Amino acid sequence: MKYLLEDTYYVALRELKKYFRQKTRLLMTLIQPFIWLTLMGNMMTGLTNNPIAANFLGTGNYLTFMTPGIILMTIMFTSIFSGMSIVWDRRIGYLDKLLAAPINRAAIPFGKMLSAAIQGVIQAGIIVVIAVILGVRFQTGILGILVIFIIAMMVAFILGGISLALAAKIKTIETLMAIVNMLTMPLMFASNALFPTNVMPSWLKAIVKINPITYAINPMRSLTVTGWSSSIIANILIIFAIDILVMLWTNWVFVNAVSE
Amino acid sequence: MSEIANEAIVVENLRKVYSSNGVEAVKNVSFSVHYGEIFGFLGPNGAGKSTTIKTIIGLLRPTDGKIYLDGVDVLKHPNRVRMVKGYSSQESSLDDRLTAYENIFLQGKFFHLSNEKIEKRSKEVLEMFGLWERRKDLIESYSGGMMKRLDIAEALIHRPKILFLDEPTLGLDIQTRHSIWNYIKKLREEHGMTIFLTTHYLEEADELCDRVGIIDNGKILALDKPGVLKSQIGGDLITMTFGNEKEKVNAFLEKLKTVKDVKSVNALDNNVYSLVAEKNGDQLIPKVFSVAEKEGISIESIRLKRPTLDDVYLTYTGKTIREAEGSREEAAQQRVTMRRIRR
Ligand SMILES: Nc1ncnc2c1ncn2[C@@H]1O[C@H](COP(=O)(O)OP(=O)(O)O)[C@@H](O)[C@H]1O
Ligand SMILES: [Mg+2]
Repeated sequence: MKYLLEDTYYVALRELKKYFRQKTRLLMTLIQPFIWLTLMGNMMTGLTNNPIAANFLGTGNYLTFMTPGIILMTIMFTSIFSGMSIVWDRRIGYLDKLLAAPINRAAIPFGKMLSAAIQGVIQAGIIVVIAVILGVRFQTGILGILVIFIIAMMVAFILGGISLALAAKIKTIETLMAIVNMLTMPLMFASNALFPTNVMPSWLKAIVKINPITYAINPMRSLTVTGWSSSIIANILIIFAIDILVMLWTNWVFVNAVSE
Repeated sequence: MSEIANEAIVVENLRKVYSSNGVEAVKNVSFSVHYGEIFGFLGPNGAGKSTTIKTIIGLLRPTDGKIYLDGVDVLKHPNRVRMVKGYSSQESSLDDRLTAYENIFLQGKFFHLSNEKIEKRSKEVLEMFGLWERRKDLIESYSGGMMKRLDIAEALIHRPKILFLDEPTLGLDIQTRHSIWNYIKKLREEHGMTIFLTTHYLEEADELCDRVGIIDNGKILALDKPGVLKSQIGGDLITMTFGNEKEKVNAFLEKLKTVKDVKSVNALDNNVYSLVAEKNGDQLIPKVFSVAEKEGISIESIRLKRPTLDDVYLTYTGKTIREAEGSREEAAQQRVTMRRIRR
């Protein structure tokens, strides 16, 4: 227990060093949201010119409506691949080296989750800057943006954890990729990230309600579009609870998977 | 009890069955390793070498048996031996997107060393392994031999008393292998380190190890000094031809039989004669010459052939070690290639 924080820090540091070293990947995290925002923004302005649609979205600017969705989508597509690093570490023997060291074993998944969370904040930051350049105004200002960053971090932490737990069991990268891809699509589209719930059929609405991504989108959207409200806290608490559960679950799966 | 306290490693009736597939990889193995010794497990792919190492260092739970490191029961007190053991796995367990220094720094941190200690010691070990100048290079740019050297250097960062090397030269070319051997010898000579290594190279076991255990199918088939193992299956063989007529030669051979360390003397085909030495065939050759001089025998040719561990291996396992190994080398090489093209 004594070394849990320290070990977690160094496991995360390793991942982050590599993250910052990969220039092309960093550039992609810049370009991708830019393309999304400009492309989707342009495509959808026709929609927002319609006053009824604008009413549904809660804003006359589809970009503003979309920005939280783009933030979450970008984070999701990165953090859900965290597990790959465990599969790779196992294959090259790095995992054995870690396990042979006197580190707290929980630090291995937690460190990787922490790294995913930090990458999440960086991506959220980049997207916010791009959005502001493209004319999006955040209703709750700097403070609201900070809260958006915290939510981004918590979501990346959850998805990183899920990915790591899967990866601890699955030992080939190909299988992991297939499962992860199968997971991300429904998480994204069965949420209110890209379209308001009001326009969805009722069966989809039901799914949206149990999708954890929804509880991240809701407060983010309030912070961006409508302003402060008490539901923001409620949603953040739900996300936080999921964080804790995922942490416990991932650690449990990981420790079981590495003890033979 | 006294044995446990005086030995670096004591393994008693170790058994390991993998729960995933029910394979009994190690079957009731017992041995001990002295302090300051280089001890080797020699065996083919799948013999159970890695499983034994991983069980001893605590990466795997034994199904049965006792393990003592530095006098400590590791199953009862795993925390007490954490800093005693160093481990370099069969794979080159480096992060190839980090530099050598970053790799070794993190390893130091995973052993909870202070920054000052890591700085001092990593300089020490990197210099020892000839990698200090290349410490800021990404591992991607390292050759297989450099990676292995760094791997071993890393395992030394917390100054372990006992070092475990799982196939330290797997897939490396001959020159590189020799250079790694020299580093391993240096560790023992300069630091008195106890080293337990596994290998499937006979030359490696012969060159490095004070004692060798031949392992196959999870069992130790023989365990002793390489020289003893070799002499057990037959001593050094000296073959000779002479420039004299038969009677004279026969009289000479009778005399030879009385020389110390001569086990037997035989006539082979084509007037070739052989002498089997009890031990130290090289030291017998001068004696053969001095007897020959007294008897007025002219030696036309003389040759010493020593049995190799190959012969030992064949005797104990009924197969040559190379038979099983071709595909394995390729696999190891492929792994190295895979690391390179992964980007
Ligand atoms: N993680 C594992 N799970 C199940 N079986 C294993 C595992 N690792 C090794 N084995 C099996 O145990 C036996 C011994 O393997 P190993 O110890 O790796 O041999 P060596 O290192 O001598 O090549 C082999 O039959 C191998 O297939
Ligand atoms: Mg092995």
